[in-house]
Amino acid sequence: MWLGLLAACARPQPEPTAERPLVLRVAPAGDSVRLVLLAAPGWKINARLKPVLEAADGRRLRLDALRLTADSAYFTEPPSVTVPARPGGIRGTLRASVCSAGETVCRLMTLDVRGET
Amino acid sequence: MSRSAVYLVLSLTAAAGAAGALETASRAVAQIPLALAGPRVVPRPAPAWGNKSWLNTDKPLTLEALKGRVVLLNFWVFTCINCTNTVPSLVDFDRKYRDQGLTIIGMHTPEFPPYAGEHDKSNVQRALERHHIEYPVAQDNDTRTWDLYRIRFWPSFVLIDKKGQIRYEGAGEFHVGDATYQGWDGKLRELLEEQ
Repeated sequence: MWLGLLAACARPQPEPTAERPLVLRVAPAGDSVRLVLLAAPGWKINARLKPVLEAADGRRLRLDALRLTADSAYFTEPPSVTVPARPGGIRGTLRASVCSAGETVCRLMTLDVRGET
Repeated sequence: MSRSAVYLVLSLTAAAGAAGALETASRAVAQIPLALAGPRVVPRPAPAWGNKSWLNTDKPLTLEALKGRVVLLNFWVFTCINCTNTVPSLVDFDRKYRDQGLTIIGMHTPEFPPYAGEHDKSNVQRALERHHIEYPVAQDNDTRTWDLYRIRFWPSFVLIDKKGQIRYEGAGEFHVGDATYQGWDGKLRELLEEQ
């Protein structure tokens, strides 16, 4: 795991952008890892339909955060989930309902996640 | 480097279908606000839906049976605040125009798979009660009607005339009395006045 972490640290870390509004990052948390979903500026993540990472091993990992907008509709801090680190990393599909600045609609984004933890 | 400061970036790649969705999403950012500002003309025959599960009606409503009435389809889901924020406007339209020949149908189309609870009829029923929705609502759990009407956003609207033709479409939240509400209100009155 640590070799993977060190190798990964050497790689550039992408920031969410208008072209790629969502980025999932993982940070070590003891023997576990913390998955954090970042949204590009102007993009909001629906907190009423919390993002879910459907892992290939059958786990469903729901990302959550404490701080929400006053109407509880959106996260005001990146939602995250902490999971045990496993050899072979994590693979799966992440689903998130999002809204961008200037729009008044929800849209579904699905991302294929492949990564070493 | 402290351990807590280490961030490992997952290689995040869009799946084949999702890649398109992402690109579509980012491309659409600059274009959508105007497109969503109000109803626009898209004349074409309305495809017949075949939803089996309905609420607020004794039997499934069909396009054929609604000929002679103006139909406003609202694609929504109770987990989308843009959708629920728009419900008061739809309730208002229903109150004003049902007796004049308008049928509003809420097409409840989930965003997530069934584990999220959006497919559950009792959850939809609770949402109807919470938002005082009295017009018919169909469950579109397999997204067949969503796909049939080529919908992409929640909420979306399709306005069908008395002859079964799609006359206007649009998407996006609006509120009682705002410009978009007034736009839809005008189109509803226009179609209701047609023979």
